[in-house]
Amino acid sequence: MENKVYITIENKLIEANEGENLLQVARKNGFDIPGLCYHPRLSITGACRLCVIKIEGQAGLVMACTVQVKNGMKVIAFDDELENNRRNTLAYLLSEHNESYDNTYIDELRPLVKRYKLENVNERPISSIWQNIPQKVDDTSPVLTYDSSKCIKCFRCIKACEEIQGKGVLSFADRGIQKYIVAGFGKWGESECDGCGECIQLCPTGAIVEKPNRNKINVNDIDKKVNTTCPYCGVGCQIEVWVKDNEILRVNGVENVSPNYGRLCVKGRFGYQYANHKKRLTQPLVRKNGKLEPVSWDEAIQYTANQFLKIKEKYGSASLAGYSSAKCSNEENYLFQKFIRIAFGNNNVDYCTRLCHASTVAAMIRSLGDGAGSNSIEDFETTDCLIVIGNNIIETHPVTATFVKRGKQRGQQIIVIDPKWTPLVKYADIFLQPRLATDVALLNGMVNVIIKNNLIDKKFIEERIEGGFESFNYLKEVVSKYTEELVEEITGVPRDLFTKAAIMYAKAPTAMIATGMGMSQQTVGTNNVFALLNMCLITGKIGREKCGINPPRGQNNVQGATDVGASPIMYPGYIPLTNEKNRYEVSKVWGVPFETLDPNPGLTTLEIMDAAYDGKIKALYIMGENPVVTDPDQLHTINALQKLEFLVVQDIFETETSAYAHVVLPASSLFEKDGTVVNSDRRVLRLRKTIEPIGESKPDWLIIINIANKMGVNIGNYHNVEEIWEEIRKVAPIFKGISYNRIENQGIQWPCYDENHEGTSTLYKEKFNTLSGKAKIYPVEYQSQSEQPNEEYPLVMNTGRNLYQYHSSTMTRKSDVLNSYLNESYVLVNPVDAKKYNIQDRSKVKVISPRGNLVTTAIVSDEVLSGEVFMPWHFHESPVNALTRNEKDPISKIAPFKYSIVRIEHL
Amino acid sequence: MNSKYPKVVLKNFGIIDPFSIDSYIQNGGFEAFKKALKLNRIDVIDEIKKSGLRGRGGAGFFTGLKQNYTISSCEECTERFVICNADEGEPGTFKDKLIMENDPFVIIEGILISAYAIDATKGFIYIRGEYDKSIQVIQNAIDQAYEKGFLGKKILNTNFSFDIELFLGAGSYLCGEELTLIESLEGKRGYPRIKPPFPAEKGLWNKPTLINNVETFSNIPYIIQNGSEWFSSIGTSESKGTKLFCLSGNIKNTGVYELPFGISLREIVYDIGGGMLPGYEFKGAILGGAAGTFVNDNFIDVPMAFETLKSIGATLGSGAIIVIDQKTNLLKLLINIIEFFKHESCGKCVPCRIGTTLIYNKLKYNKLTENEFNWILEQSEYMARTSLCPLGQSPILPVKSAIKYFKKKLLAYGK
Repeated sequence: MENKVYITIENKLIEANEGENLLQVARKNGFDIPGLCYHPRLSITGACRLCVIKIEGQAGLVMACTVQVKNGMKVIAFDDELENNRRNTLAYLLSEHNESYDNTYIDELRPLVKRYKLENVNERPISSIWQNIPQKVDDTSPVLTYDSSKCIKCFRCIKACEEIQGKGVLSFADRGIQKYIVAGFGKWGESECDGCGECIQLCPTGAIVEKPNRNKINVNDIDKKVNTTCPYCGVGCQIEVWVKDNEILRVNGVENVSPNYGRLCVKGRFGYQYANHKKRLTQPLVRKNGKLEPVSWDEAIQYTANQFLKIKEKYGSASLAGYSSAKCSNEENYLFQKFIRIAFGNNNVDYCTRLCHASTVAAMIRSLGDGAGSNSIEDFETTDCLIVIGNNIIETHPVTATFVKRGKQRGQQIIVIDPKWTPLVKYADIFLQPRLATDVALLNGMVNVIIKNNLIDKKFIEERIEGGFESFNYLKEVVSKYTEELVEEITGVPRDLFTKAAIMYAKAPTAMIATGMGMSQQTVGTNNVFALLNMCLITGKIGREKCGINPPRGQNNVQGATDVGASPIMYPGYIPLTNEKNRYEVSKVWGVPFETLDPNPGLTTLEIMDAAYDGKIKALYIMGENPVVTDPDQLHTINALQKLEFLVVQDIFETETSAYAHVVLPASSLFEKDGTVVNSDRRVLRLRKTIEPIGESKPDWLIIINIANKMGVNIGNYHNVEEIWEEIRKVAPIFKGISYNRIENQGIQWPCYDENHEGTSTLYKEKFNTLSGKAKIYPVEYQSQSEQPNEEYPLVMNTGRNLYQYHSSTMTRKSDVLNSYLNESYVLVNPVDAKKYNIQDRSKVKVISPRGNLVTTAIVSDEVLSGEVFMPWHFHESPVNALTRNEKDPISKIAPFKYSIVRIEHL
Repeated sequence: MNSKYPKVVLKNFGIIDPFSIDSYIQNGGFEAFKKALKLNRIDVIDEIKKSGLRGRGGAGFFTGLKQNYTISSCEECTERFVICNADEGEPGTFKDKLIMENDPFVIIEGILISAYAIDATKGFIYIRGEYDKSIQVIQNAIDQAYEKGFLGKKILNTNFSFDIELFLGAGSYLCGEELTLIESLEGKRGYPRIKPPFPAEKGLWNKPTLINNVETFSNIPYIIQNGSEWFSSIGTSESKGTKLFCLSGNIKNTGVYELPFGISLREIVYDIGGGMLPGYEFKGAILGGAAGTFVNDNFIDVPMAFETLKSIGATLGSGAIIVIDQKTNLLKLLINIIEFFKHESCGKCVPCRIGTTLIYNKLKYNKLTENEFNWILEQSEYMARTSLCPLGQSPILPVKSAIKYFKKKLLAYGK
């Protein structure tokens, strides 16, 4: 706790923390000292000179924003001299300021003009000069316009970009009264600006205004502003949504609230257009004579219920399955799995986590006991050393990356391990670029280096690892084979580089790991993560604050969907369903006969598709997933879907998958419903309804209940989602202490066992969540891939994401803003290979694998190694999954999206 | 040069070869540094304190006190820096250039003694980028000092190690202000920092930093060598030693002169400067450059020292003396000064960014009556109260003094 001090402001006694900012203290205590350059999230600037005050015993005027409070300080905040001074400063500002106002932004200057009675231009002490100052307007950015005549040169945008987002794109050009903001070397549209809009949010005077909806918005005539959780990645940013006439017109980051503290990325701020998009599904569709025709809800639900019942009767329980969704709330995922288990009578429920972090979760549960990130997002800033492996964090988790970049500013060491260059390399101390699918060799090599240099944590090994040194010695024996020579040969990474990285990690007082799809989406995905965990465990870099392993999650509720039981093997709260006692407990809460709960594990995502292909699954209920684009081996997926007797797709848009559906049910988007989600650092966050459901669309939870009711199955009577959450709290102890009320303003991290528990920011501080309470070492060997490049397919294709599009891009491609940054597929080809295969930069090429082919545009780039190519998988017209293969990691059942042999031909 | 005045800083002027460290050593160079190395750090600082040496950059802060703050502000700090401010940019000021071009070694020796005194590990000479010759001479001097073992590791076989790096300014007046200079030295755009903290507490890279002017450093070897008593015997009660004055205007002998504090303006203009050029009458002067003050001919006998000038509301500043005669267009001169501030204002804080333009516009484009001058005075006062750094606080100095002493003349231009 900080030391408390007592100061007086205008003779009022005030308690504050020692060193706290005086302006902030004053404002908190009701003294409305004006100020425009100060912002609580930025370093002190002292430019606007409005917050002048006097401090007893100090000569002259002092800027409150520059003062840290000290005990006994006596402050005069308002007297004639101060107020006159402020008025004069305002008059100065106004003289260089273009005051035209179009209601498209909130102006912090205008209320001050009123307060200091300066509205009448002719009565101001200072006459206007702004007309004579060269006006600079930059309209080249897709998201904003800058107008120097409205700029008060307060530095907030520059600091927002540099200090908060770590991008440093903005600066002043020229000096004195002529100075103005420039992005990069001149034009915003040509700069490195990635459109996050932090500068817009912090601009006090509308010098930087956002472009989208500028012709529609009137900030003084907004119906409502609602706080909810961003619908994109798993950071779980809290957003403030501005609504007029049931249309979303603007999104801002919510200030002062975790996990994002006001920050957003370009998708979060500008990617909302999909919600009100004209292509939204507004009516249920049923296939009649081969064509999807609009029908009433009654008809659609009745038909769906009938078909499910019919198929269940005809082929038995095992013939039905469901895909739940990381894009739906906890409450909806919970209901969905409950529906599958009760109405279908099996455990065939899974979702896209199987395609992303299944390997990570599988390894973490076995080794540590929990399938979730061990730390808090704030630790990304404060840890001493961070390894980012197989994770393009700046593009896929941009707001988490802001913490990393701020960490760098304070001296954090960063190690990037990735076969492909990522933007974080610019901030990295060490960049290791191993060949694709050689991670186990590299990590075993690094573990070997750590052991050889005696940088292990003996106490941790003895006390916190199952088997202690016996386990360690076994690992030591396994990794001893991974000599520097061998690792260099397999991975292509120079030995001194990975040696340096291993030592840096092991020696750091605190160190964290962020692991991503690059590690998990391989046939050896689980082993990759085991190898990583081994390194983490023998160095004791877990179970403490700022130490641990974290998989940033790709969708805003991937974490929550598994947490609430959308899993073929676990009930809500990670309760194994094969255990009889567990089934008994669950049956009691659900009020269903114990025997009706299937004791056998269900099928995983890809197993369900395989079973459909094999004719074993006859009916599939898909809620908010698009497997035609997202699952491996697209042809196989399509064939499987075509073999189904009954396919229900419940979504907000028609998708590549709904094209094969018998029934399409229009769901409401996340902006249209209440509920909760869980983000990457296990924070349970609120979703709030911002707009009414579009057309006849309904929230997924209502649709599920309606289907169950029509099937004559009782999955519960709920009047609202909070009642569903209350039931989840009863089933899953990790959520027991988290009520809607408690997370009204800010999320709480599970596990949270009772309402007095503050939540868990760091996992495993006392014990691991395994039976023994200790972590387990799983030594693993490097295995070469079953598929190897050959004469016909000489290259290996890696896949991944891009900042501006999201997954199968059904949402992001509805945004003009995001499309203006990137709306086209590409393949990155190393210059050496480009020359070898006669590929021109920006030319159309055909990419061919043993499974299929596609057409895309080649970009010649040394971001990839020679022999490897890279493609983003967002674009359905160049479907990367036409090329990937449906092989699986034996433990996690994930497919190797990161490794397919291909060849490239120019068209 | 008049030999009846004692020489301190310019002792070697014309005697040594500025490109030869040997000639400096032959004339007693680095003896003071060797002497200092045998003393305790605190004793070195005490000697400087006792000497009464004050900063020659303009503010006149006591050098020994500054050294003391720098070493005691953070006892656990292992890194401290010394910066020599050679970004000479004050209008009418050209004295540091003279030292650098003629005796670069005394600067290095002064830096070394200061560095030893405050236990610094690294020094920088931040030099005005346009000073081609100074850069050449100083760089050569640094190189030779390294060759002779006066810089680098374990200097003269002691445990004291110290490096000096030359850094070129890029033409901003504001970068002569100490905290702005430090920003610039850190590779950032030259914006002033908020004070406090002072450089002695958090300077370069937030480490305790001693920053002094070229002339200040050049005094230090002689104080150590000859003792504080010798030094403080020169000058006045509160201004010890000598000062380099930069004499310009329509007088016979313009140039730089080293003179003891307390000498009168009359002696400077008529004895040293040889009087006015034919046809010109002495009417006053600007003391201290653009950020300085006007005085009229009533002040011809005022002793030139920090305290005496302060008592009449004037400033010594950098030591610039720009002589005004009966033909000087004072309004043009004032406009020129304000235009200079307007041009050099970084634009960070509101009062300076806008105020310099407002005052310039008023002077340049308006019919000037008493009202206008009152308005200008008001704005300058507001700027002085409210601006972030010395630049915005400066216009009041020339504006107020010009109006005070030359109001009639200024009003006459308005008619």
